[in-house]
Amino acid sequence: MELHILEHRVRVLSLARPGLWLYTHPLIKLLFLPHRSRCKFFSLTETPEDYTLMVDEEGFKELPPSEFLQVAEATWLVLNVSSHSGAAVQAAGVTKIARSVIAPLAEHHVSVLMLSTYQTDFILVREQDLSVVIHTLAQEFDIYREVGGEPVPVARDDSSNGFPRAQHGSSPTVHPIQSPQNRFCVLTLDPETLPAIATTLIDVLFYSHRRRKSITGGAWLGLRSVTTCLPRFPSDLLLTSSSGELWRMVRIGGQPLGFDECGIVAQIAGPLAAADISAYYISTFNFDHALVPEDGIGSVIEVLQQRQEGLDS
Amino acid sequence: MSGTKPDILWAPHQVDRFVVCDSELSLYHVESTVNSELKAGSLRLSEDSAATLLSINSDTPYMKCVAWYLNYDPECLLAVGQANGRVVLTSLGQDHNSKFKDLIGKEFVPKHARQCNTLAWNPLDSNWLAAGLDKHRADFSVLIWDICSKYTPDIVPMEKVRLSAGETETTLLVTKPLYELGQNDACLSLCWLPRDQKLLLAGMHRNLAIFDLRNTSQKMFVNTKAVQGVTVDPYFHDRVASFYEGQVAIWDLRKFEKPVLTLTEQPKPLTKVAWCPTRTGLLATLTRDSNIIRLYDMQHTPTPIGDETEPTIIERSVQPCDNYIASFAWHPTSQNRMIVVTPNRTMSDFTVFERISLAWSPITSLMWACGRHLYECAEEENDNSLEKDIATKMRLRALSRYGLDTEQVWRNHILAGNDDPQLKSLWYTLHYILCIQYTEDMDQKSPGNKGSLVYAGIKSIVKSSLGMVESSRHNWSGLDKQTDIQNLNEERILALQLCGWIKKGTDIDVGPFLNSLVQEGEWERAAAVALFNLDIRRAIQILNEGASSEKGDLNLNVVAMALSGYTDEKNSLWREMCSTLRLQLNNPYLCVMFAFLTSETGSYDGVLYENKVAVRDRVAFACKFLSDTQLNRYIEKLTNEMKEAGNLEGILLTGLTKDGVDLMESYVDRTGDVQTASYCMLQGSPLDVLKDERVQYWIENYRNLLDAWRFWHKRAEFDIHRSKLDPSSKPLAQVFVSCNFCGKSISYSCSAVPHQGRGFSQYGVSGSPTKSKVTSCPGCRKPLPRCALCLINMGTPVSSCPGGSKSDEKVDLSKDKKLAQFNNWFTWCHNCRHGGHAGHMLSWFRDHAECPVSACTCKCMQLDTTGNLVPAETVQP
Repeated sequence: MELHILEHRVRVLSLARPGLWLYTHPLIKLLFLPHRSRCKFFSLTETPEDYTLMVDEEGFKELPPSEFLQVAEATWLVLNVSSHSGAAVQAAGVTKIARSVIAPLAEHHVSVLMLSTYQTDFILVREQDLSVVIHTLAQEFDIYREVGGEPVPVARDDSSNGFPRAQHGSSPTVHPIQSPQNRFCVLTLDPETLPAIATTLIDVLFYSHRRRKSITGGAWLGLRSVTTCLPRFPSDLLLTSSSGELWRMVRIGGQPLGFDECGIVAQIAGPLAAADISAYYISTFNFDHALVPEDGIGSVIEVLQQRQEGLDS
Repeated sequence: MSGTKPDILWAPHQVDRFVVCDSELSLYHVESTVNSELKAGSLRLSEDSAATLLSINSDTPYMKCVAWYLNYDPECLLAVGQANGRVVLTSLGQDHNSKFKDLIGKEFVPKHARQCNTLAWNPLDSNWLAAGLDKHRADFSVLIWDICSKYTPDIVPMEKVRLSAGETETTLLVTKPLYELGQNDACLSLCWLPRDQKLLLAGMHRNLAIFDLRNTSQKMFVNTKAVQGVTVDPYFHDRVASFYEGQVAIWDLRKFEKPVLTLTEQPKPLTKVAWCPTRTGLLATLTRDSNIIRLYDMQHTPTPIGDETEPTIIERSVQPCDNYIASFAWHPTSQNRMIVVTPNRTMSDFTVFERISLAWSPITSLMWACGRHLYECAEEENDNSLEKDIATKMRLRALSRYGLDTEQVWRNHILAGNDDPQLKSLWYTLHYILCIQYTEDMDQKSPGNKGSLVYAGIKSIVKSSLGMVESSRHNWSGLDKQTDIQNLNEERILALQLCGWIKKGTDIDVGPFLNSLVQEGEWERAAAVALFNLDIRRAIQILNEGASSEKGDLNLNVVAMALSGYTDEKNSLWREMCSTLRLQLNNPYLCVMFAFLTSETGSYDGVLYENKVAVRDRVAFACKFLSDTQLNRYIEKLTNEMKEAGNLEGILLTGLTKDGVDLMESYVDRTGDVQTASYCMLQGSPLDVLKDERVQYWIENYRNLLDAWRFWHKRAEFDIHRSKLDPSSKPLAQVFVSCNFCGKSISYSCSAVPHQGRGFSQYGVSGSPTKSKVTSCPGCRKPLPRCALCLINMGTPVSSCPGGSKSDEKVDLSKDKKLAQFNNWFTWCHNCRHGGHAGHMLSWFRDHAECPVSACTCKCMQLDTTGNLVPAETVQP
């Protein structure tokens, strides 16, 4: 297995709904005209509370500061796991990397953010935690750091300079979960056809007040995927799995989770992986969200409830 | 292919068809328009071809990539990869074979939809189709479909097509691929490796991977960014090209860790890279927004590509049209042919011209190779219309032994072809010089420095006699007229001798010279010389003779008549008419005769500056009629003129001195004739002239020229000739045969003449028979080594050759006799040290490649690249 530390240095922002008008221009530019800006990593997730943005520093420069914009202190690095072994792993997404990445990081008290897309999963860690991450994961992964687009192997000795992390409580808080009734559809889209659905996307993003949608751009591959709940799009342009499966959401956290706490992803992903349930996982400024197959929602709730009870008892 | 950018494909088998694909597939047929007009509706592709649209297929929207079925049947089956990852089989032909009709419209559907980037048909199992897809977090990106799996359901039950139930088009949807590879990765390009049916090379997201379908859990991969457009060299199955942005990487699959080479980076990103299918090692590349196709010729790359040897790459570019090129395709069979398509779908069909390699042999035959054609430029045989090149002339002259006649030196101009007046003059001059030199040497009569004066030319001779001559009036024979004539002192006589007017000795009678001129049919010249010697009767008589002879001109009689009317009267009609009409005479000698007769006493410009008259005659004339100062000035002037022009007649004036070398230099500059220069300067000139580096340069170049023509015998003759005339040029012996026991040179003690060695050494067997019996070292009396063939000690003359070459000997017995000396020479291989009599070795290697010594596998003769060359003289007539 290979772990790639991507070049992007990502900032996580929250944009309050009333301030949207101020940011429409840079957002549309970042979303639809990626070649006009030097931003290479961009993700926009709409929740009932706010818009969460994850952008690299180039993109961050395009957003003017204002009272509506809340910025998380840390700079985040993006990790991506790629497996070169031909061994077939059926369970998808977070489930697959739960054991190998999420759990060890949680044990070493590294706070992570997750971002799942149609294509792949990104794990965001704070830049200051990098040495711990490398040290922790060097056992199991060949770690490459991308420099100028070229993967450079990271030597293990790099990571031996102690553990500067402040220790947190060893047992994580169990956060409540809730699951709304909306059904979600995970789609992808050929970047070349983006102009054809731009107006629909703008409509969906900024003029509707549906529950939640997220758009992620990853220009390093020239790919772009959309996670949205709206089946309004012309079916030819958006691509999804041939079985046309639908997803249900699980929201984690009763009140804003903050960025320091670790083990949140682990406590969700761990049980799901144990039950071999595939999931998409998206972190936002305040809460975490997991998407699970519609027909498995019952068992998911059950599994997660057990987790709570297990800890409670 | 995404709407704006069309791609183009040649049909793999019906080679006059191609497909242009953008939003739809258009099938075209190419026709030659050499003999016919452009048909209505046809598109012109090139000057001699046009395309006709046969059909359009717009059944498959969102095309991303297209691949043409590689088998003969069905002809027009194409696989189309779509933006949603589905692969559809479609057809463009009317040839709907019922057997394959079911294939048309068949769709292969991946589990998770995403763009299909690339398609590749397996070249060995024609039913296998590999599709490369974009990344999905949990799905595979390389899917291998068996398009006919339905027809052969009994291969592997597991891999049977699972049809999704309940849909109307059920039979046409296939969802279960034969193989799935590359999970959680993106595949950007694919190609099957021709080495094995089950080897697939894929450009993945960050690496190039070779999948072996026999064991799908294993793969070989190398991390690189150059993952686009992987393609295998059709002529060298381990060589693969791929690209990333502007850079092409060439890989050797046997040494897959890093590219064996990367081509010069282009400023714009590449869009297509393709090996030429009809020519080894030719790679064509295209960048975005460009109207040129760059070609990289790796033709001379040594294969296998070594680690150290940096292969030679010749970069070229072709510009088939003015517009940007969207895509191109090599023609599958026509050599170096290519078709390009522009974004607005204009097409152009052209052939990439091979670089032409030109070879010019030393014997002026010209050959060039272009592609698979070899052209020879033959010289046309109508030699008369054009003057031959100096190289051809020199070659012919060398063959006719030009320059080597040392007895009658003047004859060399006849050997040279007898068609160049300058050469004639030169060799006559040399002849006279040598004659005079010879008699002087014989006589020993005249003391002093005459000998060197002869070589120094008339200019020096005349100078040396300054102020010693008085003129006197001489009577014309047969006329009562007197003309001032210089008294001839020794120097002037010498000059006249050099000019050839009078013979050696003190006899100043021009009679013999006139006779020889008359014999050669040069009546005008003879008449003029007679006249200049104040013998007008003889002149008239000669002209009459000329008119009456067969070859002569009847007009000479008229001239003779005019001449006989000569009058001394200053204002006569004769004089007036002659001085004006003489200019209309064609023959320069006739012209100067009248000029002489009509001139004022003491001013002979009409004669002296008539350039068409031979220099030697003018100089002789000047010696006879000009005073010392006039003569000196005239000779000086003429010498400079000759030197300037590089006119060989001027050698008469300069002699073989520094001046002569200067003159020869401008002659060589003008003509390139180093042959004449070498021979001339060798001909008995004083040593300081031979030491002139220019002379040495000519000589060396002439020797090289002879070598280049493979005239080795001529070269040897020249060397011998040279060493006779210039003993200092004789090379020292370079090779000795030394005794194995005492180490002394055996040839030295035999006092054989050392000769110029080239790996052979002569042993003194050439002389008397007694000498040839020496079979032991003269120093220590130990026996000499034995000949590997006859097993007799060296030093014995060669007997009749062992083994089958008897017939040869009989046939060219005379030749063998000539070579007999050489047959006895020692010769040996510098590699294995075996050898023997040269004659034996030659006959052995006529039929064998290996050394005659048993158990020695040395291929002696092949080690020497010149061993198989034949001297050109023996081949040429």
